[in-house]
Amino acid sequence: MNLERIMQIDRRIVYLFVAAGTILPIVFVIGLPVSITPPVQMAFDRMEDLDPGDVIMVSFDYGPSSAPENAPMADAALRHCFSKGIRVIVIALYPLGGLSEAVNELNKVVAEFPDLEYGVDYVNLGYKDGAQAAMRKMNENIHEVFPTDVRGTPISEIPLMREVRTYADLELCFSLATGIIGEWWANLVNAQFGLPVIVGPTAVSAPKYYAYLEAKQMAGLLGGLKGASEYERLVLDKYPDLERVYATPGLYTATKGMDVQSIVHLIMIAFILFGNVVYFTGKRRPRKAA
Amino acid sequence: MPSLGTWLAAFFTLCMLSFLYKDNPFFRIAESFFAGLSLGYYIGIVANQTLKPNLVLPLADNFSANWHLLFAGGLGVMLYFRYIKRVAWVSRWALAVYVGYYVGVNMMQKLHGEVLPQVGDTMLSLSWSGIGTLWNVVMVVGVLSVLIYFYFSAEHKGAVGGISRVGIWFLMVSFGAAFGYTVMGRISLLIGRMVFLVNEWARPLIGLIT
Repeated sequence: MNLERIMQIDRRIVYLFVAAGTILPIVFVIGLPVSITPPVQMAFDRMEDLDPGDVIMVSFDYGPSSAPENAPMADAALRHCFSKGIRVIVIALYPLGGLSEAVNELNKVVAEFPDLEYGVDYVNLGYKDGAQAAMRKMNENIHEVFPTDVRGTPISEIPLMREVRTYADLELCFSLATGIIGEWWANLVNAQFGLPVIVGPTAVSAPKYYAYLEAKQMAGLLGGLKGASEYERLVLDKYPDLERVYATPGLYTATKGMDVQSIVHLIMIAFILFGNVVYFTGKRRPRKAA
Repeated sequence: MPSLGTWLAAFFTLCMLSFLYKDNPFFRIAESFFAGLSLGYYIGIVANQTLKPNLVLPLADNFSANWHLLFAGGLGVMLYFRYIKRVAWVSRWALAVYVGYYVGVNMMQKLHGEVLPQVGDTMLSLSWSGIGTLWNVVMVVGVLSVLIYFYFSAEHKGAVGGISRVGIWFLMVSFGAAFGYTVMGRISLLIGRMVFLVNEWARPLIGLIT
C-alpha cells in the first residue's frame, strides 16, 4: 500500500464519514445508555429540594447558534419545574436570539402541560439589553428592569410578579448559557447576592464552570449536550409520565443527540489512530532503508 | 410538503455546509444574509424590548416621575455624535461614563466573585484524612506550579524550571479537556443542523415523493 497516498487523503473523505455517522443514527435511533455525573446529579437534587409553589428564574442566555446543546437543557429544566409544580419566571439576556429561544421553548413545553396558567404558574418577561447591568439591578428591583412582560402587559398586573420583587423572593436561577453571561450568574449574582445558581453552558465553555462548581458558587452544572442528556434521564426516571413527551416521533432530545455524538467520536478516534499508525509506519521505513 | 420557511432554512444550511467542499458564492451569500439578519434582529429587539418599555413608555406615561431617564437616553444618543466630525468629542463623554460604570462593576465582580472564592477554594487541608487528601494535593500542586510557570521575573532554570515544567503538564491536561469539550460542542451544532435537514426537510419531502 502506498503510504504517501494514504497520508494525502482528501479531508472531504473524512467529512463524508462524519456526515454518514451523523445522519444514520438520526434516522435509525440507537438509544445508547446515559451515565450520570455528579455535577448534573447536584443540579437535579437541588431542584428536587424545592417545594411545589416555589419560584425560580430561568434565564435564556443563548441563541439559535447553540440551541442544539442548550434547548434540550431548557426543555428538561422547564418540564422538571412544571412536573413538580415549581413556578417559573423566564427572562432572556442573550441579544442574538435569546428571546426567540425563550418564546419557542416555553411555548413548546407549556403546550405539554394544559393546566398551566400564564401569569400564575409561569411568566415570560422577555429580553433585556446590557445583561450585567440588568443582573445587578434585579437584586434591587426586578420590576424596574422588566416594567412589562414580553406581551407588553405591565408587570404589576401579573399575579406571579406581585410576589416577586428581588432575588430574595426567588429560590434559584437556572441559566442556559452560551458565552460569558452564565459566568456572571455565578461570579456576580451568586457571589454578591447569594442566589443559588445552576448553569447549563455549551460544551465549549463548560470546563471553566468547574472552578465555580468546586468553589460552591454554583449548585449544579450541565455541561453541553452530555449534561443535557443526563438531566433528561434523571427527569424521566423521576417523572415517568414525561415518557409520553419524550417518545414523540421526530422530537429532538439530548439523549438522541448523544447517540450521534458517540458514533462521530468513534469515527474521529478511528481516524486519529489510523493517521498516527500510518504516520509512524512511514517514519520508520526510511530509517530501515538507510 | 415542507413550508417555505423550512425550504429557506434548508437552502441556507446547505449553502453554509457547501464551504466544506470549497469556498463558493452560495456560501458567501448565506454568510452575508446571516450577518445582515443578525444586525437587523438585534436593532429590532433592543428597540422593542429595552428602549420602548424602559425609556419611551415611562417618559410618555409619566414624564414628571421619570424625567431622570433622559440622562440615560441622552448618554445613548451622545454615542452617535462620533459620526459627526465637528462634535465627535461628545461621544467620548458618554463612552467615559459607560467604561467607568463597567470598570467599577467588574472590579468588585472579579474580586468578590472570582479572586476571593477561587483563592479560598485552593486553601485546602493537606493533612491526611483519606483518599480525598490526594485530590487536595493535586489541586494545590497544580495551582502553584501553573502560577510559577506564569512567573516571568525569574529565569525558568533549576527548581523554578522544574516546577514550571510540572505546570506545563497541568496546563496540557486542562487544554486537552477544553479541546475535547470543544469538539463535542461543535459536533452538537452539526447534529442540530442535520436533525433539522433530516426530520423537518428531507423526511416530509421523501414522504411526499413516495
